Amino acid sequence: MNLYQAVIIGGGPAGMMGAITLGNHGVKTIILDENESIGGQLVKQTHKFFGDHAHYASTRGFEIAQKLDEEISKNKNIEVENNATVIGIYPNNTVVYTKDGQEHKIQAKKILIATGAMEKQLPFINSDLPGVYGAGAVQTLMNEYGIMPGKRFLIIGSGNIGLILAYQLIQAGVEVRAIVEALGKVGGYDVHANKVKRLGVPILLNHTIVKAIGDESVQGAIIAKIDDKFQTIPGTEREMVVDTIAISVGLTPLTELAEQAGCKVEFIPELGGYVPIRDERMRTTNPDVFIAGDLSSIEEATTAMIEGKIAALEMARDINGSDTKEEIEEELRTLALFRSGPKSVKIRSGLEKMGIKISIPTKPIINEKKEDVIGKLRAVLECDEEIPCNSCEASCPFGAIHIGENLNSTPVLDAEKCTGCGTCVNACPGLAIFMMKENEEESTVTLGIPYELLPLPEKGQKMWGLSKEGNYVCDVTVERVVKYPNKTNIVYAKFPIEFKDTVRHFAFPKKESPIVCRCEEVSLEQIEKVIDSGVTDFEEIKRLTRVTMGPCGGKNCKLVVLGILSRKTGVPISKLSHGTSRPPVKPVEFSVFKKGGDDK
Amino acid sequence: MEGRIEQHPILQFKRKKKIKFYFEDREIEAFEGETVAAALHAAGIRVLRHTPNLGRPAGLFCAIGKCSSCLMEIDGIPNVRSCMTKVKEGMRVRRQKGKGDVL
Repeated sequence: MNLYQAVIIGGGPAGMMGAITLGNHGVKTIILDENESIGGQLVKQTHKFFGDHAHYASTRGFEIAQKLDEEISKNKNIEVENNATVIGIYPNNTVVYTKDGQEHKIQAKKILIATGAMEKQLPFINSDLPGVYGAGAVQTLMNEYGIMPGKRFLIIGSGNIGLILAYQLIQAGVEVRAIVEALGKVGGYDVHANKVKRLGVPILLNHTIVKAIGDESVQGAIIAKIDDKFQTIPGTEREMVVDTIAISVGLTPLTELAEQAGCKVEFIPELGGYVPIRDERMRTTNPDVFIAGDLSSIEEATTAMIEGKIAALEMARDINGSDTKEEIEEELRTLALFRSGPKSVKIRSGLEKMGIKISIPTKPIINEKKEDVIGKLRAVLECDEEIPCNSCEASCPFGAIHIGENLNSTPVLDAEKCTGCGTCVNACPGLAIFMMKENEEESTVTLGIPYELLPLPEKGQKMWGLSKEGNYVCDVTVERVVKYPNKTNIVYAKFPIEFKDTVRHFAFPKKESPIVCRCEEVSLEQIEKVIDSGVTDFEEIKRLTRVTMGPCGGKNCKLVVLGILSRKTGVPISKLSHGTSRPPVKPVEFSVFKKGGDDK
Repeated sequence: MEGRIEQHPILQFKRKKKIKFYFEDREIEAFEGETVAAALHAAGIRVLRHTPNLGRPAGLFCAIGKCSSCLMEIDGIPNVRSCMTKVKEGMRVRRQKGKGDVL
């Protein structure tokens, strides 16, 4: 049997960071991962991460995975075993896995289990129907494999995952009909909620799903309002036409392997369900076994990476006597800072049940406001929630944004120092920074918004200005579009000054256009576009749009098309050429002609 | 047909070689590197099996190999997680009926 100094189960953010740390301290380490490449669930995260600039804040999830993967492949102490499914842990730190249809056994001095979590189930009528998917499954299909996960979605749960999923679906061109949330308030960060609200996705609070509709797969959903005891209120049910329902009601740790390794687990709902009991440095009740990441508590990738590092530093101490004491202290301080904000109340109380106390840093949260400078192009920071992130402060080349030592503080802009460069708009993971300049003399305002959708608007284009809730406010004119390598572009547009605090998104005008030619499915808009491009001959319009050329031979639409042409050109229908009518005037199968006929 | 995403504001999908496999004897196009479940989904196929007792249709749930909702019969072997199995040229995939035989 192969003997390793350290085995890591799971190559997600926690496992990868653990491996790098162990490798750097001279520990021979193997990562066992079930997938073809490591990265865990980071590979499907397209959004930029919050956090400390030193910990990959403002970097997209899949890019963090790439960076860690590169570091791992350079480190000679780390071996990666892909496509390796761990099926059990046995006495003497023996890990059994299968690969390519074969069983393998390895032993290790120390084991780091970083198996992560999976989506919680939500049983409702037909919740087992194909098309009811975990939010993560939708992300996998869409962001990892580039497959359209569905056409019309309903999302259950407004935590960060549900909110991020809604945004990602829209980026992929999928319609999101609504997000339903059982509680009376949005579960995730405000900035994530704002991102989807201004795109027009309603978040229905105090609502739940009652039933998925469909025989073989989802064709709709029934949702209803619920009372404060989470019971559906009769008479409030309504049907939604959707083809996919995404469940994002939370994650729960995958503790099976830890349990087999003899780690004691306890049910601590604040941390996600059953979790292995462990000390501050991630050691479980089995002294040879450590845990990190979502397995230890459901949080996010940044804290998972720090935990992976802490576990690895402690393991290295055990294995080869590395002096990692100071490093551990430093990482523990960072972790405490991340968990010190109001959004981490649940995690703190969960950890406390385990005997781990998070000391709130003495550095106070500062939320001061500075004088704005009207009429100058400057940043507008709409980040009023205390979340651990300092991307804007770190990105500003002019020191105009201040957060301070406690990264839970909300950012403050020194408008005097701000040069209007837009770097912070591009960096903010919450897309919560805008650029603004009042043009007093013409009573307009120029607003720059972060834009991560396709197609990208062009200068001079007319668009709709949408409110924070995604409603139409006024027309806007695109002034300029600044492209950035990280794909968060900035679109600047001008509109009447009275809407400067209302408009927060620009959208292409939505025009519904009736179908004129039902055989060839040609809309009024398509026909008008051809005529507007200078084509005024009926025969030419036919060839360009295929109107009148379907099975009905133009019986349905010829007059309508001529009417449109007449209206647009001012030439009466009687004066227009209306084409030639050729046989067959009804659909006839080819075999009729093949057989030949007899002349009667 | 659910189809594939051709243009994306953030991601670039570098598709590998086009291959063919069979679902219930029907030829399906896929790209190397895709899982069976993903390729089927792209072809509009969401029902991956019928449950052994109640005969209810079942499809993906987690798509990362945890939930065992997507078990299929792949190249004659039952109970294979179609979300973790990469599609291969000529592979024969069937909706699983029943629990699968031991031999």
